Formats: sequence, C-alpha cells, structure tokens
Amino acid sequence: MDTLSHLAFGLGVALTWQNLAYCFAGCLLGTMVGVLPGVGPVTTVAMLLPFTFGLGPAPALIMLAGIYYGAQYGGSTTAILVNIPGESSSVVTTIDGYQMARNGQAGPALGIAAIGSFIAGCFATLVIAYFAPPLAEIALNFGPADYFSLMILGLVASVVLARGSLIKAIAMVCFGILLGLVGTDVNSGAIRFGFGRPELTDGIGFVALAMAFFGITDVLLNLEQNQNQDVFAARIGRILPSVAEFRQCMPTIGRSTVLGSILGILPGGGALLASFAAYMLEKKIAKPPCSFGSGDIRGVAAPESANNAGAQTSFIPMLTLGVPSNPTMAMMIGALMIQGITPGPGVMNERPDLFWGLIASMWVGNLMLLVLNLPLVGLWIRLLSIPYRMMFPAIFVFCCIGAYSVNSEVFDIYTVAALSGVGYILLKLDCEPAPMVLGFVLGPMLEENLRRTMMISFGDASVFVTRPISAACLVATVLVLVAMVLPTLRQKRDEVMVE
Amino acid sequence: MSRMRNLIAAVALLLPLGAYAQTYPAKPVHLVVPYAPGGSTDLAARVLAAKLTDMWGQQVVVDNRPGGNGFIGMVAGAKAAPDGYTLTLATVGEAAISEALFDNTPYNMARDFVPVSMVADADLVLVAAKESPFNSVQDVLDGAKKQPGRLSVATPGAGTISQILLEWMSLNSGTKFQHIPYKGGGPGAAAVAGNNVPLGILSASGVTSYVKSGHVRVLAVFGTKRSSLDQSWPTLIESGVKDVTGSTWAALFAPKGTPPAIVEKINKDVVTALKSDDLIARYAGAGSLAVSSTPDELAARMKRESDSYRSIIKAANIRSD
Repeated sequence: MDTLSHLAFGLGVALTWQNLAYCFAGCLLGTMVGVLPGVGPVTTVAMLLPFTFGLGPAPALIMLAGIYYGAQYGGSTTAILVNIPGESSSVVTTIDGYQMARNGQAGPALGIAAIGSFIAGCFATLVIAYFAPPLAEIALNFGPADYFSLMILGLVASVVLARGSLIKAIAMVCFGILLGLVGTDVNSGAIRFGFGRPELTDGIGFVALAMAFFGITDVLLNLEQNQNQDVFAARIGRILPSVAEFRQCMPTIGRSTVLGSILGILPGGGALLASFAAYMLEKKIAKPPCSFGSGDIRGVAAPESANNAGAQTSFIPMLTLGVPSNPTMAMMIGALMIQGITPGPGVMNERPDLFWGLIASMWVGNLMLLVLNLPLVGLWIRLLSIPYRMMFPAIFVFCCIGAYSVNSEVFDIYTVAALSGVGYILLKLDCEPAPMVLGFVLGPMLEENLRRTMMISFGDASVFVTRPISAACLVATVLVLVAMVLPTLRQKRDEVMVE
Repeated sequence: MSRMRNLIAAVALLLPLGAYAQTYPAKPVHLVVPYAPGGSTDLAARVLAAKLTDMWGQQVVVDNRPGGNGFIGMVAGAKAAPDGYTLTLATVGEAAISEALFDNTPYNMARDFVPVSMVADADLVLVAAKESPFNSVQDVLDGAKKQPGRLSVATPGAGTISQILLEWMSLNSGTKFQHIPYKGGGPGAAAVAGNNVPLGILSASGVTSYVKSGHVRVLAVFGTKRSSLDQSWPTLIESGVKDVTGSTWAALFAPKGTPPAIVEKINKDVVTALKSDDLIARYAGAGSLAVSSTPDELAARMKRESDSYRSIIKAANIRSD
C-alpha cells in the first residue's frame, strides 16, 4: 500500500461515529484544560486513563491525542490574553501575542494562532504519513554529541529573543541555565542547590517558573502603572485577522511549519525549540515594517504554527521509539502499553489501524479545533473587558492553582512567590524572561548530553566535529555568532570613523 | 482489678476493630505512588486501583507524589493514619535500595511500614546493539577483560536497580564497565537501539519492540529463572556469572500500626485482584507479571534483597553524592 491508500484506510478508521465522538471529546476537553491554567493535559489524561481501559487502543489514543493537541490550542489563548504560558512551547507566543492584546488586537492574534496551528497541523500530519519510518531511524541515530551541539545552537541563538541589550540577554540565558541545574544530577545522582529540601530534588517546576515570571510579575507591573489598566478593556477591536494580515503571515506560517515539523521529530524539547527557532528566523528575515517584540502578528503566527507542527510530529518518536517528549506523551505511552501495544519501530506494521487511524484523526481533530476555536475567539476577547481590578486576583489564584496541581505540593506555591520577586526585579532591570526560560529548559539537557558524550568517548572531544549532525550544528552556531557580532562591530567602527 | 480493666479495654478495642475490618472500606482509599503519572509503577497502580474500585464499591484514588528520589511519596505514605485508607505502592528502589544508597533516607521500611502484598514484577535484561560485536554474555566479559572500564553500559539512571546489577556483575566476574545513566528506560533503550551505547541493562518490556525490529539483541535476563516473555533468553547465572539476579518489582505497603485484620483483608482482596484475568492481561501488556504474596513472603524478599544490595553498594562504593 502506498501512503495515500494508507491515509484513506486511516480516514476509514477515524471517521467511524465512535472515533469521531472520542476525537471531539478529546479536542473539547483539551481546549478547556488548555485555557484553564489550573488543570493541565497531564492531569486530565491521568484521570481519564482508567476510562480508556474499556475502549479499544485506537479510540483511546485518538481521544488522548485530542486532549494533547487541544491543550496546545487552548494554551495559546492564555498566553495571548493574560501572558501566562501554560506549556513551555507557548512561552514565545507571549512575547508578541500579549503585546498585541494590549494594543487591542487580541482578536487577530487569537485568530492567526488558530489558523496558523490548523495549517501547521495539516502539514505535519502529511509529514508523519510520508516520512515516519525514515525519520524514526534518524531520531534513533541522534546521539548525545548531536544533542549537545543542537542545544548550543539553540542557546546561542536564543539571545535574539530579547528586545534590549545583548549582554542582558546572555546574562539571562546563563541565569536560566543555573536555575535549570537545581535538582538531581543525572550522572551521579547528587543533589545540587537543593538546600536540604526534598521538593527541590527534581528541580524547580517549569509551571511554577512560568507562572511567576510571566503571570505574576506582569500583574505586578500592571498594577504599578495603574493608569494603563483600562486601555486594555476599551479597545477590543476586530475578531479575525484582515486579509492583508493573513497574506503577510502566510510565508511565515509556511516556513515555521516546516521548521516545527523537523524539530518536533527530535525526542525531548522539540516543540519548544521549534517555537522559538521559528520566531528567531522570522525576526531575522522579516521585511519592514516589522515590530517584533511589540506586537507583530508574524511573531504570533511563527511560534504557534511551529509548536503545533512540532507537537504533531513528536508523535513520531513517541509511537516508533517509545520516547516521550513531555509528560502528556508519557501518559499516552502508558495508555497504549495497558492495551498491550508497546510503542516501537514495529508498531506501524503490527497495528496499521492504530497508526493510520491516529494520523487521520489528527487531521479531523485539527479541523474540529479550528471550528471550535474561531467562534470562541469572540468570547475570549470579551474576557478582556472585565475590569482589571477583578482580573488580577483571578490571575493570581489561577497561577497558584496551576503551580499546586502539578505535584499537589504547597512548596510549589512558595516557589512561585519567591520567583515572582526575582522576576519583578529582573523586569525592573529590563531583563527579558524569554531567553531565561530557554536556558532553564535547555541548560540541563545541554549538561546531561555533554557529560554523556564525554563519558561514552572517554574524554575525546573530537566527536563533536567528527559526527556530521553535531558538526553542522556547531558550524551554524558560529555563523549565528558572526551574524550577531558583525553589525555591532560595524556600528562601532562607524562611530569611530565619525569621531 | 487492673488486670480486669485491661481485659475490658482490650476487648473494647478489639470489638470495633473486628467490625471495622468487616466494613472496610467505608470511604475512598488513597494509593500513594512516589512517581509521576505515566511510568510503569503509576500504570501498575492505576490498573490495580481500577480493579479494587470495582471490587470494593469505593473509589481507590491514585495519589502521585513524585520527587526527592521517592522520598516525598514514601514519607507521605509513612505518615498517613494507619487505618488502611492510605496505602503505598513502592518499588524495589524505595523498598530495598534507597536506605543503603542515601545517608539521609527520611523513612525506614521496617520501622514505618507493614508489608501487604507483592504486586508486579518485571524482568531486567542485558542487551547489546545490533552493530556491536557481542552475541553472548561471554563475549561481553571477554571484551571487558580486554579493555577494563572501556565498555559502556546504558541504564535508566544512577542509583537504580540496573546500576546495582551492573556493579554486581562487575564484582562477580572481575571486570569493570563504564556506566552511562540515562533519564529513564525509554531514552536508555533508544540509546542502545541507535548504537550510541553498545550495551544496556534495561527492562525487558522497554526493549521488546527493538528486539523484534532487530535493533538490539538480548544476551541474558537477570532473573532466577528464564523470562516468560521469551524462553530462549538465558539467565545471567546460566551464562556463568554466579549469584547475580534482580528485577524491577512493586509491592503494596500500609503504614506501621495498621490493624492486622485490615492488612489481612486488603491482602486477600489484592491477591484476588492480581489473579483476575483482565488485570493479568493488562500487566502483561505493560510488560510485567502480576505477582501476589503473603505479607510475610514480601517481608522476606525485601530483607533478602536489601541485604545483598547493601553489600554491593558498599563493595562497589556506589554513592549518591
């Protein structure tokens, strides 16, 4: 069978009434938990797991997958409206999305996020259908040295995320890496920066960090400049992006989708790398007028398309390697194993109904999400007309619930409180949180893979340049560095010449 | 007089307890799991909880308390009221390794818990990448003897049962290996399948798909007898490394002080649940055997394993810092 007939077969599975119903239930639930910061997709999937015992593997996975990508859609809503990224992959969306909302363009921002996600989702589905088998093999051969070099590239490039000074961005990346190192060292099992608290042995929680640095510090800043609060509410504006905006975003969506699809295949952190890499690329190549960082619609289209594409293609390592890229995926692997299906290279041939049924259902699910989300945009932006004095206590409460519900641990709320203080000081010093988050997520992976590489090679560092993937990433890093430093040098020289 | 009063007091205490065991469970039961949702222990807990919920007509709620090398969940389980309404599903790591591995383990299995029943048992295997030259345990030992400490072995993490088995194998065969810890069994299995590391000590269920696809070969199983997954895999002992056995198991515990009648009742029902066909099938799907035991059998196994692991941790100088 060729791919088209596979897809047709998959559609046959996905379009049965039962599977359609589960797909819809998953998407709806996912959107809801994505929008409510209190409950995440992990909790939802965990609670629904016993329910899936009675279903077949295909409907079970179709529903759980619906929750997963539905939450990706829903998560961007809170990122844009209230600056709270529900998942690491929507951190980048907060940069321009929230600025757009502040400029009264929440509607177009939400609209382009939904449309971009839809296009990306459709494309990524095709990528999975056509390339899953060879891509799984590539992901398998991705060694620790290759990961290390990719992370280096990611971290060096992440300073582009910042609006202001280069030095501050680099400092924030380093600060993020330090925060990321809190917890148990993978190689020795030693606990670092734990201060004797057992809650810190697994490190600082991402959700707590995101709630503090984005949600709460933003509320603090808003309350400080109280004259601006109701500007927000007064200008709701259009609901959908205009044709001109749409045309402006199309190339961005296209490029970001391709980039996201590629990075999503890498096990671990794919969707986050994807969203920020796409943002960076667009910021670099955007033709003026561009206002990245202060509410450019392409700054929303890029990360949203990329993270959705990445979220879809991350099913490749999940299904064919059994390597989850996040806790929700880990739950899905669990659900499959209980059904007697071990994810692995053979799953495509052994269970074609499951594999192709899931792929086809993603298509259907993306369409459902678009239909579900576009009319909801009108409802969401009406939220912004709630007076800020009523909004901010709600944001506070949701941040606390969100942080608490990850581990049912009060300590995580204290973490939010402490980090909010740090975040406030940093914002006052004009240091952007986005590069810090990237350092926080990628730093520990960087260290883990560096040490693993050196252990496997017995201290021989030449592997970084002899492995082709690793070498390519390092060359790209050098190019990015040169590109960043050159304009500054030229500027300096010009200044000297003028003098 | 005082003897009489004691007797009355004892009878008064016992009466409601007997009645208590008959009505147990009268409210939802919490099952503490010291791991995040989604792992193999969590799955075993969820399947068991769903079955007990059906049998008891009371919700059995899985309470994930991950973090701190399992300390957070274990302390929560140990400190819970000893009334049978909070149970703990601990693995070989928390029950037989942590106390020897960490200086500051905040609980003590013998002091804080009473055993209820074994729940699940999963085989660990020594695997080699397809591209590696190793076709048997003997090949591996020969290779390690030729270049001591230059053969890399992937495990699901530092301080896990896999690392202890690796050190035990080294001690008993007079060789040395390079330990490469990964973050969990999935990445570890992918590392061997992708030939980033030539060898691995991993759970059998995590590697079966790679075995089927031909990416890895199973060289031996670390059980006392051959695996139910594939009878053709020799045990490590058969392959000439004496004494080295171990597996990943999970067992149910109650806080110390839980009335024996309640423990007995839970044991009886858990054993029934673990012998039901649907539960056996779900556990088998997830790559583990549903295994039940009496509380005494569990206590004996725990004692035997923690004693031998303690001596290996000491001899190999495995440290957590």
